[in-house]
Formats: sequence, C-alpha cells, structure tokens
Amino acid sequence: MVLGSGFYVLSFHENDKLNISKGLNKMSKDVSLGKTFFAGIWDSNPVLRLLLGMCPTLAVTAAVKPALTMGLSVVFVLLFSNIVVSLLRHQLKPHLRILMFTLTIATAVTIADLYLKAFMPEMSASLGPYIPLIIVNCIIIGRAEACASKNGLIVSIIDALGMGAGFTITLCVLAAIREVLATGNIFEITVMPGSFTPWAAMGMPVGAFITLGLILGAVNIISKKTA
Amino acid sequence: MSNNETKNPILFFMQESWLLLVSAILFGCLLACLSAAWQPKIIQNEIDKFNALAGGLLSEAKGFQNAGESISVDIGKGKTYSVRVKKGTDAAGNLVGWAFVCEGSGFADKIKLVVATDAAFEKLAGFGVLSSNETPGFGDKITIKDGFYQSQFKGAPVTELELTKVGDAETIDSRIVAISGATVTSEAVVKTFNTFLLPIKEAMAEQGLL
Repeated sequence: MVLGSGFYVLSFHENDKLNISKGLNKMSKDVSLGKTFFAGIWDSNPVLRLLLGMCPTLAVTAAVKPALTMGLSVVFVLLFSNIVVSLLRHQLKPHLRILMFTLTIATAVTIADLYLKAFMPEMSASLGPYIPLIIVNCIIIGRAEACASKNGLIVSIIDALGMGAGFTITLCVLAAIREVLATGNIFEITVMPGSFTPWAAMGMPVGAFITLGLILGAVNIISKKTA
Repeated sequence: MSNNETKNPILFFMQESWLLLVSAILFGCLLACLSAAWQPKIIQNEIDKFNALAGGLLSEAKGFQNAGESISVDIGKGKTYSVRVKKGTDAAGNLVGWAFVCEGSGFADKIKLVVATDAAFEKLAGFGVLSSNETPGFGDKITIKDGFYQSQFKGAPVTELELTKVGDAETIDSRIVAISGATVTSEAVVKTFNTFLLPIKEAMAEQGLL
C-alpha cells in the first residue's frame, strides 16, 4: 500500500496509470503557478488526497507546536530537495536518480535535525526520531520525482511551498482538534470551559486514527459534492 | 560485446556517477561546516539540560564535573552502557552528591534518566527524565517533578528496588508503588535503577571515589 512506503514511490514511476501517480504527475503538465501552489493545499493535498506521509501525521499531532515544527521542517526539506533536483535535472542519469534524490533529501533532513537540536532542543527531544524519519517520507521523494525532475526552478519552488503548506495545514488542523479535546488547551492556552473533561484518548494513537479518519471522511464528502 | 564492456571500467564508472560523487562531497562539506558551527551549541544544550535536572535534585550543587573514569554497565543481552558519573559541588567546592545519566526500555521507547544520590552514595536524591515517549496521561506521569512517582525515590536507599502495585507511597524505602495504569513504565524505571545503581556504586568504590 501507499502508507509510508518508499518502495511504492519507486514503483509508481513504472506504472503511471495508477490513480495516485496521476495526481503526482499533474504538476509536470500544469505549469500555472497559482494552480501548482493550491494543488498542494487541496486537489493533491499529500495527506488528505494522496495519503502520503501518514507516519508523522499520526505520530506528532498530539499538540499543535510539534505538528507545526514538523510541517515547517518538511517545507524546508521539500524546498531544498526540489531546488537541487530541479537545478540538476538535465544531468540526472535515469538509473541513478533515486540515489541522487535520497542523497539530497538526507542532507536537508540532517540540516533540519541539527538546527532543531541546536536552537530548539526541547522540541527536538519532543519530536524524537520523527525528524530524521522525514528522509523516508514519500511526499519528498514523490515531489522530486513527479515535479522537480521534470520542471524548472520556479515551478519546483512553488510546488514545494504548496505541498509543504498542504502538509503543514493538515497536521495543524489535526493537532488542534486533538490538543483541544485531549487537554482543553491550544498552544498551551486554555480554550475550553472549566467544566470540560479532557479526553485522554485523543492524545494517544487511537485519537490520531479516529480524528484522521473523520477528517478524511469529511474531505471525501466535500469532494463528491464539489465534483 | 556491448560498448560498456569495452570501455575502461573506472572511466565508465566516473562518467555515470560523477554527479553523485561531486554532490556527495559537496553535501558532506556542507554538513561538516554546519555541524562544526552548531555542535558546540548542541553540546551546551545537553549540558544545560543535565545541569538543570541534576541541579534540581541536588539543590546545594552549584556545578557538576566529571568524576573518575567512564563506567561500563552490563544492560543485558551482551550489551553495555557507558556511564560518566559527575560530582556535584557547592559554591565552596565541597562534594554534595553524585549524578549520572542512564537509560532503560519503557512502554513506547527508551527512557533516559538523570539519577542523583547523596555524597556517600547511600541514598537517592531522586531522578529527572531527560527523554521519554511514554503514554500521555499514564506513563508520562514519571516526568512530573515531585509527583506521586518521583517523590518515592527521594531519600530511598541505594539498593535493589522493588515495584509494588499497592502500598504506601509516602513511606520512603526500597518499595516503589507503581503508577496506576502505567505498570510497564513504572517497572521500566525501577528496572533501570536496579541495572545501574549497584554496579556504578561498586565501580566508583573501585576507583576510590567513595
């Protein structure tokens, strides 16, 4: 399946008839910058439409702060990776391209990890292994393959910003719902009345699955109505 | 015979992979530069965190310095964990206690602790949690400073600790009452203490620190 599988990303290149690759490859044909940006937020939202990057989506959304940090880290890695891959796209050998993508992504993730350890140590400790795990996030390698390796620098940058924004917004919405219901707070500010009883389950993995499932259901209903 | 096979293999390798090699070198240099620039800050963050936790446990301590050699503790399954014990000293330089970092396997992930003892290494001054990913609302109660669980370790003897599910948590002895709903995490902390405390005490005695 798609969820968190780097192998899948390698395989969809071979079979572009799959529905998901249709969404991923859309960028190479559509160079309208506005459409490219907003595709990442709604039409090809990596989490809600393509179901990519599900591991951090479920793991770091117990509160908004870590979710926002994860989202911004992914935006940085996407930008770095898309810029490098786009600049080098004419030199890429087809059979070595995945190695090149991996090298680029690993470098960006290491920079993000070092930065968080140096300047946001509490957040780095809170996110644990999930920042290094961005290396195997399918969104990054998927965009490098579907967009950056086939488009110019500007389109690749806009695509990275759109996809990154879509990922970050989704994580923050999911985290906000969970944090409010699990603690009554958001950004450590109490927003629920004193009579509110926190739902501890919403802070646990089960809360992540339930909330994500409900959001995916809502997105599917909206999509059908607007189709 | 194909063209590739007649070519010089080294030349062929360079033609195919020069971009990968050059990129690897450039990215490696970039990471080396950033690491060199940020590593002192990262190390200082770790020292600050240790000092804040250990200083909270040994309130009279004004500083912590390495004491003796690194101690290798057997953590089972043929693995060892290297511990560097630090001595806490007051403003006059007098020894007020010992502190060290140790870790064990919790319910979800590794639990990394800062453990402090008195100057004689006879009684625990308590523990602080450097890192853990235990279940919110249950296992993560081990991180509550002066909470129900942590309080039981303050003044407890440096000996084999025992975990019980029921008992009087206010009686300070070697019996530690588990957190309700977080027995695995409670057990992990006690097991970590039992793995590290006595071997470290023995090694410190051998080094002439006690």
